[in-house]
Amino acid sequence: MMAFEITLPRLGWDMEEGSLADWLKKDGEFVNAGELLFTVEGDKAIQEIEALDSGYLKTLPYGPQKGEKVPVGTLLGYLVPEEELAEFHIPGQSLEPVTVQATQVQAVAQPAGNHLEEPSPAPVDGRKRRVYISPYAKRLAQGLGVDWQGIRGSGKGGRIMALDVEQAAMMKQKAAVPVPVPTPSPSVSAINAIQPIAPQVAQYAVERHTITPLRKKIAEHMAYSAHTSAPVTLTTEVDATELVALRKTLKEDSAITGQPVPSYNDLLTKLSCQALLEHPLINARIEGEEVVQMGAVNIAVAVDTERGLIVPVLKDVQTKALRQLARESAVLIERTRNGSITYEELQGATFTITNLGMFEIDAFSPIIDLPQCSILGVGRIAPKPVVVDIETEKVAIRQCMILSLTFDHRLIDGAQAARFLQRVKHFIERPYLWMAG
Amino acid sequence: MRELTFTDAAREGLAEEMARDAMIFVVGEGIGARGGNFNTTVGLYDLYGEMRLRDTPISERGFTGLCTGAAVLGARPVVDFMFLDFELDALGEIINQMSRLHWMSNGQVKVPIVLRGGVGLASTGPQHSANLFSIFMHLPGLHVVVPVFPADAKGLLKTSIRTDDPVIFLEHKKLMRLKGPVPDGEHLVPFGQASVVRQGKDLTIVGISFTVIEALNAASLLEIEGISAEVIDPRTLAPLDMATILESVSKTHRLLVVDEDFSPCGAGAEIAAQVMEQGFYELDAPVRRMNGTFVPGPYSPPLEAAVIPSAQGIAKAAQALMVE
Repeated sequence: MMAFEITLPRLGWDMEEGSLADWLKKDGEFVNAGELLFTVEGDKAIQEIEALDSGYLKTLPYGPQKGEKVPVGTLLGYLVPEEELAEFHIPGQSLEPVTVQATQVQAVAQPAGNHLEEPSPAPVDGRKRRVYISPYAKRLAQGLGVDWQGIRGSGKGGRIMALDVEQAAMMKQKAAVPVPVPTPSPSVSAINAIQPIAPQVAQYAVERHTITPLRKKIAEHMAYSAHTSAPVTLTTEVDATELVALRKTLKEDSAITGQPVPSYNDLLTKLSCQALLEHPLINARIEGEEVVQMGAVNIAVAVDTERGLIVPVLKDVQTKALRQLARESAVLIERTRNGSITYEELQGATFTITNLGMFEIDAFSPIIDLPQCSILGVGRIAPKPVVVDIETEKVAIRQCMILSLTFDHRLIDGAQAARFLQRVKHFIERPYLWMAG
Repeated sequence: MRELTFTDAAREGLAEEMARDAMIFVVGEGIGARGGNFNTTVGLYDLYGEMRLRDTPISERGFTGLCTGAAVLGARPVVDFMFLDFELDALGEIINQMSRLHWMSNGQVKVPIVLRGGVGLASTGPQHSANLFSIFMHLPGLHVVVPVFPADAKGLLKTSIRTDDPVIFLEHKKLMRLKGPVPDGEHLVPFGQASVVRQGKDLTIVGISFTVIEALNAASLLEIEGISAEVIDPRTLAPLDMATILESVSKTHRLLVVDEDFSPCGAGAEIAAQVMEQGFYELDAPVRRMNGTFVPGPYSPPLEAAVIPSAQGIAKAAQALMVE
């Protein structure tokens, strides 16, 4: 019988690292198997994790910090069964250095030894919890008086090698150099001397933050998409007057109450779906040497959140009525904004819609989200004078909108993409047409 | 210093010993007037005739048994098996008689005999490519000698002939035409003294027989990558000079053993085990072995290239070991 280890879980097949977002139980609290124990921030989602075993929660005092990115499998804490509680100590914590050298080290390292105090990461395979150290490195550490339990190993699986011990010893030496004690004496340090001008410096200071897992994922994926695809953007101006009228009608439908009114995005999702069914090549992707024609129409809708761009997916749009879509998208967007969306809900899109209309943007060139082959950028709807009849020289005020379709020219040719966009335009100008299916 | 091929240097050693001691004679298939399949005895028949260079029928067990008796009675036979593979037909005599008589007679009987044969893969097919180092390392009473450089071929063959115990003298076929400096005059190389053939500080590579050459080539590749490899040629596998290997490991803290012979129960296994037993606290990484693939030597050159350790392969293994 032993304490149960709590490790960072893998939330999706390609997740390699993530961070402990927060504990949902307090240190020392009893947790039953099945209770929610902690939340994990993965690539794009925050997920609640259940306890797999029962026991008293013991978090690691030197474990990963909240938000600190660590490999999947990293040890986060323990669940200690009742009968083990008296005996339990966190491995490594009770191993006091016993040699004379090690005791001296402690005394020396105390003033500024934070480099050496860093926890050693668990090996990435998530199974072996011991700190591995080579026999030579261990002997070297004893000789140099280095507490190797705290060293971060650079060998395979985090194993400590002689090199790591030598570096730790060097750092310890640096740390052991007496830090000038702040005193009024002007002769003591240059550090004090520059302090008065520090506030001025601060005005122009560069701030540095560790890149968040989400930002890193977006960065990698956007760069990958931009470097891999052959993007071309087509733009067309659409008369959205009928669409605006339809939305107004939907809003005013007194028979339906207590339900979200379909948004423009919901309407565009439904209309795009109809156009995609008629132009299946746009609903396709390149996988290796193959072109894969996707069966379902799964449309991703870009959502701006405090943490960055997140793109939840409305699945099987072709089977869903507009009201049903509106209900689902309202829930998805809420879950995206509050961070409770799951990894699965972000997967499987075949087409993306991104709408910057609310920021008074007319047209733009969005980046394709590979492996999808196209993305529809939606601009603002604004009233404009439009020539409605040339012969009578009649001009009318119409609700206009610009659509920007970026497509991957590796898979789709300009005319094919243009026909698709033309069909979307046609649907927007005559939105009742999609009812025909 | 003058340069000789491995075979010429060994033959010079044999000739010097035969001139010095009339009790030395050579038996084998084609070693008389023909001078040996691998030119091991060229010119000696003209000097000493068939009394001391005796061609034999294809009857390994017979002539090995006869030579064992001759050695017991005071002669110093050199049995030239041409290919080591043929020695297998005489294993009963070698193991049960030759290697044991000294022990069984409480030291009263000496068996000074040299068994030499070509080893290794050299487009020679499954039945002419054996190394079998570990079979002989595994037998008490035998010395196992694996010279690599011409000077050692000469010096170690002379020592082998002068040794009062049976010696297995193994010449890799890819080494036979290798040229190298050989000292003039008397040159004896003692058993049990490994040679550090290249100095380095980052890792130790022990080669065995021909793989010493590949290890040296690998060390040159590694130098370009900024890795300094020390290369050791043990020269004799029994006795094995562990002191030199351990001293090197104490300096580099990493060890790779390269052997064309197979890994299970091989020379590398023995070296690795001894380093673990005697040098555990010097190791900064696990000892790694690199061996010929565990299959009989193929005849096809591309297949052969695929089953033997190459310089590139050794360099790769060394690089991996550096970040292990």
